[in-house]
Amino acid sequence: MSVLLVNSLCMRFGGLVAVNNVSLKVDTGQIVSVIGPNGAGKTTAFNAITGVYPPSSGEVIFNGINARRGLDGANVIAIVSTALLAGFLLLLICNAQTIWEQVINAHYVYLEPFPWTKAVREFGSFVFSSAAWPYFVSGFLLGGAGATAIWFRSRTSPFILCKAGMARTFQNIRLFQEMSVIENVLVAIDARAGANLFEAGLRLPSFFGKRRAALKAARELLDFVQLEKFANQPASALPYGYQRRLEIARALATHPKLLLLDEPAAGMNPAESEELITLIERISERGVAVLLIEHHMKVVMSISDRIVVLDYGNKIAEGSAAEVRANPRVIEAYLGKEAAR
Amino acid sequence: MNDTEVLVQQLITGLCNGMIIALIALGYTLVYGIIELINFAHGDLVMLGAFMALTLVAFFDLNGASSGPAAWVGLASLFVIVPAFCAGVNWLADRLAYRPLRSAPKLSVLVSAIGLSFIFVNLGLFWGGLPLELFGGGNAAAAPKDFPGLIGNTNLLGAGNVQFTYKDLLVVLITLPAMGLLTYWVKFTTMGKAMRAVAQNPTAARLMGINADRVISITFMVGGALGGLASVVYALYNNTIYFQMGYRIGMDAFTAAVLGGIGSLPGAMLGGILIGLVRALTDQYIATMWTNVMVFSILILVIIFRPSGLMGAKVKDKV
Amino acid sequence: MPRLRSNLHFVFLAVAALCPLLDTLLPEQLRFADALRPIFIFALLGLGLNVVTGFTGLLNLGAAGFMAIGGYSYAIATCDIYPFQLGFFGALLMSALTGMTAGILLGLPTLRLRGDYLAIATLGFGEIVQSIIRNLDVITKGTQGINPIPAPILFGYVFQPENYLPWYYLFWSILTVAVVVVSNLERSSVGRRWISVREDELASACMGTDVVRAKMSAFIVGAILCSIAGALWVSYLGSTGEPGNYDFQISIIALCMVIVGGLGSIPGVLLGALVMIGFNSILLTKIAAWINSLSTVSSTNVLASPNNWKYLIFGLALVVMMRFKPEGLLPAGRHYHRRGK
Repeated sequence: MSVLLVNSLCMRFGGLVAVNNVSLKVDTGQIVSVIGPNGAGKTTAFNAITGVYPPSSGEVIFNGINARRGLDGANVIAIVSTALLAGFLLLLICNAQTIWEQVINAHYVYLEPFPWTKAVREFGSFVFSSAAWPYFVSGFLLGGAGATAIWFRSRTSPFILCKAGMARTFQNIRLFQEMSVIENVLVAIDARAGANLFEAGLRLPSFFGKRRAALKAARELLDFVQLEKFANQPASALPYGYQRRLEIARALATHPKLLLLDEPAAGMNPAESEELITLIERISERGVAVLLIEHHMKVVMSISDRIVVLDYGNKIAEGSAAEVRANPRVIEAYLGKEAAR
Repeated sequence: MNDTEVLVQQLITGLCNGMIIALIALGYTLVYGIIELINFAHGDLVMLGAFMALTLVAFFDLNGASSGPAAWVGLASLFVIVPAFCAGVNWLADRLAYRPLRSAPKLSVLVSAIGLSFIFVNLGLFWGGLPLELFGGGNAAAAPKDFPGLIGNTNLLGAGNVQFTYKDLLVVLITLPAMGLLTYWVKFTTMGKAMRAVAQNPTAARLMGINADRVISITFMVGGALGGLASVVYALYNNTIYFQMGYRIGMDAFTAAVLGGIGSLPGAMLGGILIGLVRALTDQYIATMWTNVMVFSILILVIIFRPSGLMGAKVKDKV
Repeated sequence: MPRLRSNLHFVFLAVAALCPLLDTLLPEQLRFADALRPIFIFALLGLGLNVVTGFTGLLNLGAAGFMAIGGYSYAIATCDIYPFQLGFFGALLMSALTGMTAGILLGLPTLRLRGDYLAIATLGFGEIVQSIIRNLDVITKGTQGINPIPAPILFGYVFQPENYLPWYYLFWSILTVAVVVVSNLERSSVGRRWISVREDELASACMGTDVVRAKMSAFIVGAILCSIAGALWVSYLGSTGEPGNYDFQISIIALCMVIVGGLGSIPGVLLGALVMIGFNSILLTKIAAWINSLSTVSSTNVLASPNNWKYLIFGLALVVMMRFKPEGLLPAGRHYHRRGK
């Protein structure tokens, strides 16, 4: 069963085609690598898969659901209720003075008890009168159009995909620099199981339970990437290689089914990349599928179940490490035509 | 006046005010484009420019009745000295308040700009207390000042109901060439190109040998000069200035810059003209007291449908 | 030491609780505790803005709008020219609810916008609120303002305007409750979510944070605090005053309080309120009184009145302060461990 299915994905920026008709598949528990020369469109493809950029065409199916959400029932309800709200609001604001005069001023005698039922009836009769409906309709149309526009723009979003079980790291490390190491992991845990406003603001009993559980989970993850002794240090103070491991821990904290790693070995020395290979294998053992972008051939060749090669946005080869290594088009892309012969 | 004439008249007023707003909006958008600062002090700089213009009018002893070469030279000098003055003030502001904060958080720079805006307003108040006859003899510093009508109110369209006066013509003759020159400068000169380079990536521009600080200084000066020009046109067009006018003007101009897409020069021009038109038409057809509500409602509506303004570039996060 | 640092706001509140005692020891012309009351109210306003701008990084230029909404709701709910005539807590709840509604309505279309577009939208909101209040004179009494606001009655005790002490402790307790709640939030999953959005919105979304919802919760908390500040302000003045009192300047002063104190720092907000409002309502009135007692300069000269120097000094202070301490007087602890690196 495949976790991720990418069907003829295209990304165009103006005239530039960064990713052209790329299809790929990741099965449960697999480690798949995407390689290719610089500028081959690997990171762009990654961003389209994780929902950071909406793809120009093609589709991404994650865990059986389409990454670009269609118009479902909840969306329709949200749009219609926004439209109703906007209509009602425009009606109220544009007629505020009239309503106030008819409903409040007409019935209130200074310091006398106020006839509430009469006032409410009066209000109802105004709202349903013929004077009110043009305002309601124009507000309804504006609100509906606005809500539709907002829905249209947010059809793909990284947060929805993350909830569904997709996690990623970034090529240029994007940790929360002002937070401590453990807080970085906690953010990802909170997104799943954090306390709400009331629990947190008033310190309700349920808050402490959630906090304890989150801290425990975060410590386990730091332990997993061997960063537990830096838990309370600021993330920005960690050395580069550790920051990469912290990003992986943070991504794992979202309980992913698929982890996308964007050049995790960049800037690492041989010993560190050796450790990284072990780490990725341990992640795979936890049942998490891994999609990896990497330049470091040693890492790619030693752990990948399958390798996809991109060049100028096109997929030029796919297969096992040995197959890819022997493919003349791959050699051509990396070393030039002469070497391929 | 029949309905069509009313409409045409309001369109003329709206366009002229809009072009003045556009000129000021350019100052916001230039500075925002290069250092991502909402320059809160810009509207108040325009106010200072207007006070400078009034002082010069007193100095050259100009009034509505003056004519002859001396008056022309005096009038022309307004359009040179005031922009130079505003450019200088803006340069100084950048030098003293913003440049030391290049690496500070964005909001700190914003607070600095707010501080400068307070300082400018206060200086405007003091300036209004000058013991000159045009300033009310220094007795009512805070009172609005009359700016003499140096440009005639003669209707260029003959005896019709619709008015297009020398004042309106002046607005067109000053603002359009200024916008054209600015566009040319940004697009084709070396300094303009350097400016766009710094706006896109200051570090890379610096590595390519561009003196980013100098480019930013010059941007501030150009923005200030445009504001100065706008202040003279504003004073001649509206004939009254007061020390708190910077807030209102600045708000309109900033809204215009955002409406058009902040950072975009044609956007600022379009936004300014739209704001001018919306103001004039709301004044006429709804009620003056609802004009502000109208302007901002339209702004919010526009940015719901086009989140980066009418002509702003779509910004993609670099991942 | 770091423990004291991060709990400094409770020290400030404890000192403030003792101020009236200290005041009785001072000679008449140096007494100041009375003038601390507006500082408490503005600290509440700053606290609300700190949640939105300091924690979540959303530049909000419309704090005065929320304050006005809170204040007018309180006035309409209590004043006897309207039929509602609620008690103190009922009216406070009303103004919190209307403030919250306004926050949601403003947030729905605008929270998806990029930073500076949100800033102009909130600025516009402040202007719209002020204009609407001025124009709907049937409801809000236009430029006259609503008055008289009845004195609050709590548990049978009537708060008389002549005796400042009960007011002092009323405002102090409300501020203290707000500080406790906000600092609880800051140190919980909710606060971490806000700060992660400020630090890196995209990374946060990729870790499963619903960014729009996180921003909305910050906006709601901020709106509630700002409108309660407005309600207290109205009860303190005994009148709403004219709508022009809730202008852009108030929003700016609130923003300056937050930034001068240190973005995202709760003790910073308290100190910021003391410095910014204290300058205006304590120092300046004392100087003015002193200059008037000399009364040798002609009153028509614009330079003679200290009130005319207010903005110059204020502006200079801001510029100089940002030049030498751009991170604020009491930077948030999170910034702190990064120093010296």
